[in-house]
Amino acid sequence: MHWNRTLACALLASVPVLIAAAPEAKTPLVHKTKYIMGTVYEIAVYDDQPLRASQAIDKAFAEIVRLDAVMSNFKPQSDLSRLNRNAHYHAEKVPADLYRVIEESVRYSKVSGGKFDISVGPLVDLWKAALWGERVPTEAEQLKLRECVGYKKIELIPPDRVEFHSPCMQIDLGSIGKGYAVDRAVEILRANGIVNALVDAGQSTIYGMGAPPRKSAWEVHLRDPSNHIDPQVMLRENSVSTSEQTPASLVGIETAGHIIDPDNGKPLKTKYALSIVAKTGTASDALSTTLLLVGPTKGKAIVKSLADAAAIWISAEGETETATTGPQIRLGDKPQQEAEGGE
Amino acid sequence: MRIWKEIACTLFLVAVTAPAVTAKVYVKWTQSTAPSATVLGVSDLVIPWDDAAKGLVEAGKKQKYRVFLEVKLEEGPAAAQAASTAGIAGIILKGEASEANQVEERASKLRSAYPKLQILVLSAGGRQPELRGWLVFKKDGILQVSSPTSQPWLDANLAMIRHERAFQNGRTPLYTFSWDRSDEMVKARGPSAADYSLAVAEAGAFHADLLLELHQRQQKGLASGDKDALANWNEVKRTIEFYERENPGATEAAARVGVLTNDYDSSYEAINLMARHNIPYRVLRSADVKARDLEGFELVIAFARPSEELTANLREFAERGGIAVLVNVPGAYPWDSSAPANTTAHTVSYTVGKGRVIELGEAVTDPETFARDVRRLMAKERIPVSLWNSLTTLVTTYPGQKPGEVIVELVNYAEEATQVQVQVRGNFGAVAVESPERGCCQALKAAQVDGFTEFVVPDVLIGARVHLQGPTASSALAEAKPKP
Repeated sequence: MHWNRTLACALLASVPVLIAAAPEAKTPLVHKTKYIMGTVYEIAVYDDQPLRASQAIDKAFAEIVRLDAVMSNFKPQSDLSRLNRNAHYHAEKVPADLYRVIEESVRYSKVSGGKFDISVGPLVDLWKAALWGERVPTEAEQLKLRECVGYKKIELIPPDRVEFHSPCMQIDLGSIGKGYAVDRAVEILRANGIVNALVDAGQSTIYGMGAPPRKSAWEVHLRDPSNHIDPQVMLRENSVSTSEQTPASLVGIETAGHIIDPDNGKPLKTKYALSIVAKTGTASDALSTTLLLVGPTKGKAIVKSLADAAAIWISAEGETETATTGPQIRLGDKPQQEAEGGE
Repeated sequence: MRIWKEIACTLFLVAVTAPAVTAKVYVKWTQSTAPSATVLGVSDLVIPWDDAAKGLVEAGKKQKYRVFLEVKLEEGPAAAQAASTAGIAGIILKGEASEANQVEERASKLRSAYPKLQILVLSAGGRQPELRGWLVFKKDGILQVSSPTSQPWLDANLAMIRHERAFQNGRTPLYTFSWDRSDEMVKARGPSAADYSLAVAEAGAFHADLLLELHQRQQKGLASGDKDALANWNEVKRTIEFYERENPGATEAAARVGVLTNDYDSSYEAINLMARHNIPYRVLRSADVKARDLEGFELVIAFARPSEELTANLREFAERGGIAVLVNVPGAYPWDSSAPANTTAHTVSYTVGKGRVIELGEAVTDPETFARDVRRLMAKERIPVSLWNSLTTLVTTYPGQKPGEVIVELVNYAEEATQVQVQVRGNFGAVAVESPERGCCQALKAAQVDGFTEFVVPDVLIGARVHLQGPTASSALAEAKPKP
């Protein structure tokens, strides 16, 4: 065992030398951005055939546009808007993608004991004015809307029907939809022969396929509110998502954050930003909100119940909490085990 | 009633000082042959001042262009001398941002020495306008900093234009930028027609002149009459024609926020994010600000230490109900003698008369949050223009030249047809939109709500201009027939 560890260290140490000695990579990079779902999607592809890469990216973007037409709650004609209008009255038939995302959402609601909840939308809307330093909703207003919230009031009727058991329930897929779209985009890229790509949904979810030329994985630097921890992950066939409450005003205006705790119906108060590595974009996107809401103590237990996951909570003061069942989150140049004494 | 008085006052103040606006596009040319001015749709060609310049100048003149030379600061005198005897229209002086004062000084001397030559100054700091991603490419890998609560990252030149207008004595800023060529497809084929059009629309909408760099492939295609290149360029030409027409808006945009600064660096990041949040501000050179310059603002942000006179003016401004924010300029101020109304980790706030003074004790470390704060500090009912669900669109309002007319310029950095919901302060009876693609003008349905006019522009592709006229004004715009 000791020998193996020494050998491994020697091999790792030799990697930079081999990289340095290698000739300049010639693989072309094709990088495109597109504004969809209220955010900027980016896809970067390294491929010997730039035209093929460009076309594959366009197809992946087209898939995300299609999903936006299914899952948008801003577009009145979307399938989700139709569901929100009708599912109080009867079990509404929905497209397979929408059914799958709601099914996944309910699964994460169960995992998190209800902290992750796609039905929290009405409360988010209620707090929007307070986000801009305006009126804080009254307790009565909050109480009234809390009756509209609760994942247990969503009934999934296989294979494709959904019914709400609350007259005022509204689903919002903002905390999982982008991750799902990333996974579908990855499928499209693979189907079009792309092996090495990075798919980014507006910073909230990033998926790494393969690796850039002469690298073993995609190096991703994570959100660091302290500005001196510099957490990094190496993505290869997995995804990372980040969640953070809206920063406090710099000039002392009382404001609310955009992430609402379904337990008390109020904006979450937390000192942490949270990043989670998981196997899929859907998983990391959903878990990022969940783990921010539950905090590190309960969050570590959730991470340990998952395969191939890792999470890091970082405060503005530089406090960190980590948990992993595989992927390594490096802190600056130090792997997390050294920084944290192993988790 | 008070709202209308304020609007009228703002419109009057700007309109009386504002000549008609045009935004020019200069095309930079580096090929030995040039297409005709009719093909390019511009009248001014800019040739870099180097060994090949002589031949290129002749090629440009042959095609009836007004030819300019683009020269470095130190080459100015030699280039001006050569230009004055070679039938060249003018020279464009360029320098680093740190050389801004020397460039202005040199330009002034050359204008005196060569009165028949146009001496233009190229602003430093222009950037390719685009909707950017967050990925940063480095040594074949990717360096990524995640910030999930941020808005879409727009690289825009609006803050730079406003800054340059203040620091060039009101002259129309002229700027350029280099295209990002990190993408292999862009490197090989050049920017798309939409990319060129966005650059033209941005400069036009914000009332600046643009020196547009053309990719070699595009230049060669245009010079040789290549069908694809011509078709591609015709889209750009349409945008140039739209923004080069005389614009009914005043030079300066309507503003509710004054930014007082003496240099670019201390304020740039903050005002760049304020521009991206569509905050209506005007930059003023702090050293020159008089009390009357603060009239019409509800909020003033000082990035430079105010003089004694300016401090007194800021105090008066606050006493009348304004909010003054002092950013990282510690000192002994008259309001310090009273007890702070509020103290946080970063700020001390004082009540001064009917208003407030907020001292931020450090530089703006988070421009996104600062811009949100500025928006929160503004009285909602006084914001001249707001957009909904259009995070990729920048908007500015200008007083029009007709009484009661307001012009709204929209620029969509996503380069895709987007439905834009707009709310403009004031009650307007006629609302009409024009754009490079659709010409002039399409009447829009509008609703008057609580002193605002609300309407939807159905498809802003890159740029659009909305004309609003007061309830008693002629509705000629709305009745105007579409361009054939």
